[in-house]
Amino acid sequence: MTDDSLRGGRAREEAVSPREKRLERAGWALRIGAILYGVATVVMFGLVLLGGTGTVTGMFTAVHNLLLARFRGADEVAIAITFLLLQANVAALLVAMVGTLAREVWTFVALALILGGNVALLLLLGFTPGLLSVLAVLVAAGILLADMRAFRTNPVMLKEVRGRMRGIRAFMVMTIYLGLMSGFTVLLYLIYASASQMTGSTAAGQVGRLLFMGIVGIELLLIIFIAPSFTAGTITGERERKTYDLLQTTLMSSPMFVIGKLESALSYVLLLLLSAIPLQSIAFLFGGVSELEVVLAFVILAVTAVGLGTVGLFFSTSVDRTLAASVRAYSVALAITFGVPVLLGIYNGLLWPLFYGVGAPVGFPPALEVVLVYVREFLVSLNPITTALSTQELLINRGQIAFSSYTLSTTGGTMPIVSPWITFTIIYLVAAALLVVWSIRRMHRVEA
Amino acid sequence: MADFIIETKDLVKKYGKFTAVNGLSLQVPSGSIYGFVGPNGAGKTTTMRVLTTLTRPTSGQAWVGGNSVLEDRRAVRRAIGYMPDEFGVYDDLRVWEYLDFFAACYDIPENERKKLIDDLLELVDLTHRRDDMVDKLSRGMKQRLSLARTLAHDPQVLILDEPASGLDPRARVEIRELLVELAKMGKTIFFSTHILADVSEICTHIGIIEAGQMIAQGSMEEMRAQLVPHREIMVTVKDNEAAEQVKALVANLPGIIEIQILEPKGGRWRVRIDYNGDDEGVVGINQKLAASGIAVLGFSEETKDLEAMFMRVTKGIVT
Repeated sequence: MTDDSLRGGRAREEAVSPREKRLERAGWALRIGAILYGVATVVMFGLVLLGGTGTVTGMFTAVHNLLLARFRGADEVAIAITFLLLQANVAALLVAMVGTLAREVWTFVALALILGGNVALLLLLGFTPGLLSVLAVLVAAGILLADMRAFRTNPVMLKEVRGRMRGIRAFMVMTIYLGLMSGFTVLLYLIYASASQMTGSTAAGQVGRLLFMGIVGIELLLIIFIAPSFTAGTITGERERKTYDLLQTTLMSSPMFVIGKLESALSYVLLLLLSAIPLQSIAFLFGGVSELEVVLAFVILAVTAVGLGTVGLFFSTSVDRTLAASVRAYSVALAITFGVPVLLGIYNGLLWPLFYGVGAPVGFPPALEVVLVYVREFLVSLNPITTALSTQELLINRGQIAFSSYTLSTTGGTMPIVSPWITFTIIYLVAAALLVVWSIRRMHRVEA
Repeated sequence: MADFIIETKDLVKKYGKFTAVNGLSLQVPSGSIYGFVGPNGAGKTTTMRVLTTLTRPTSGQAWVGGNSVLEDRRAVRRAIGYMPDEFGVYDDLRVWEYLDFFAACYDIPENERKKLIDDLLELVDLTHRRDDMVDKLSRGMKQRLSLARTLAHDPQVLILDEPASGLDPRARVEIRELLVELAKMGKTIFFSTHILADVSEICTHIGIIEAGQMIAQGSMEEMRAQLVPHREIMVTVKDNEAAEQVKALVANLPGIIEIQILEPKGGRWRVRIDYNGDDEGVVGINQKLAASGIAVLGFSEETKDLEAMFMRVTKGIVT
């Protein structure tokens, strides 16, 4: 008995059965992979800074040749892609790790996707860091395949879904949600119709676009309010019902508990999102909206739900009362949805001569401009609303879904820009995975 | 340690400046029904929370089934079934789903759960409420369901915090009978209570705690011997003459401490014999009385009331 074990605080959950040991080992393989990708990102960031400031010449080309050899585009684009792929691997490996520890069947799907994705990237683009994921996944899968029976339906999710979908509440929530959205759609149409009567313009495509944007916008707002509230009460609710202690004395592991809660909350939000797709598709009647936009809108909505859902979950594990958890989760959600655009506005306001073509002051360092543009892109990608608008703009005005370029006002050269929905998805998934891992660690804490 | 399935050594638990448990050493023999008795606030629940790995002791050690609650927490959890004093309700689940959920929490494969649930429900006599919602059950039924839940993973020890509190007399008797039945199945039962009737009826062992300290513990017989120095035999006869005859007859037997003829009650005369012999001695007195031809209406050994025993050892200090 060490002093540490007496002091309370965080306690590791010792694995007792061979099965638990296996799961733990597989989880470790994936976790180490994720950590190494994180380290690689930081190292690469350093290298790019060295190359970008001109300290080391030919750095971009060297990195391009080393990490993404088969990609035939510009060095800058290669580096942007590599960054994204590294981060995507961090998120994917963390998700797979959590899935492994929670004994979720979908872990195997995740592992297969990581494996297939990285092999494809390696063959097509020469993404050599992908080998690390391939290795981690093979090790983990090798350990896990020996005991497939460890993977099963999550009991917490089963319980939650049984409880939630019973009775009238679940259907009332859905009815109200769809009712609000339908009412809003009709209102939007009526406003447009009366406005166009006055002006006399009747572009059907415009109606379709307006309706689509209106529906997705209101859906986004609803999700921002619904997702954190669904998860903020999950674990505090167990405490308030006095069932938390009961669950703590069973053999259920914290990852299973946390993931089960998250899955059940998110599956309901996902159901809401899916149920609204027919409504979004009304826009097709008028034309002017492509299927691609509907898909992208769904991705952004779903990722928002996952991100803010895990924020609620995190606060639910760290405080005792549902109210306190909800207040905190909403504070974060509001800061992201309304705070970030304000920040972005101030940022753009300060730097508008640089961004909007007036031109940079003489002697302004180009490297600084690159950094400033990327900071702006990052801010855009932090917020689902700006992400959606910016992605749409890029798609419609430039016909680009993934990559575009930005013309520097200092040198007149171009720099690669990634469509915000990609960065947004990666940022949110990495954050969500980290928050889940963090929540699990909080669950391990024992009352001292 | 092999004989004791639960053991604590100098257990101390402080919450800030408040000491809930103060150097508690406890031994629960395997297979016993152990009544953990003490006034409210004596530290019973805190001790149980330490034993169920829910809280860490400030100092001291505790083992359940030979596993340390500090180091082998999962092994301890596997060995125990815990029922807190508050019933944790999932009001949106059916009775069978409630058990199914907890069975799944103990990693019992899905194909074994149906039979397990049926068996558990039969054991606690709730088979007819299988498909009802949990919150529609009466308090007594919820308590029985709770007990069924603690049995899902076939634990060695049941740790029950006030299992009979707040129940009506019938429900209390049902729970008591259930506990005896479980003990017959080989489970060790460690339960806390402040209702002494529960203890005297079913317990094989008892520990009395007050202000976080163990005042007395041991088997019921030991405790009686320890706390009540002698036995009390009550002989009921018809009149004063018979009473005097009884007195004269047993007066010079070995082990007799005092004989007293009590005030007649309801027309009956009673002779109280304070005696410190063993069971054979009591049988001997009985046979002697029978052989003497005195008209005896009743012969009984008064069990010293636990209430009296309890009042005697506890000083009424509740922190």
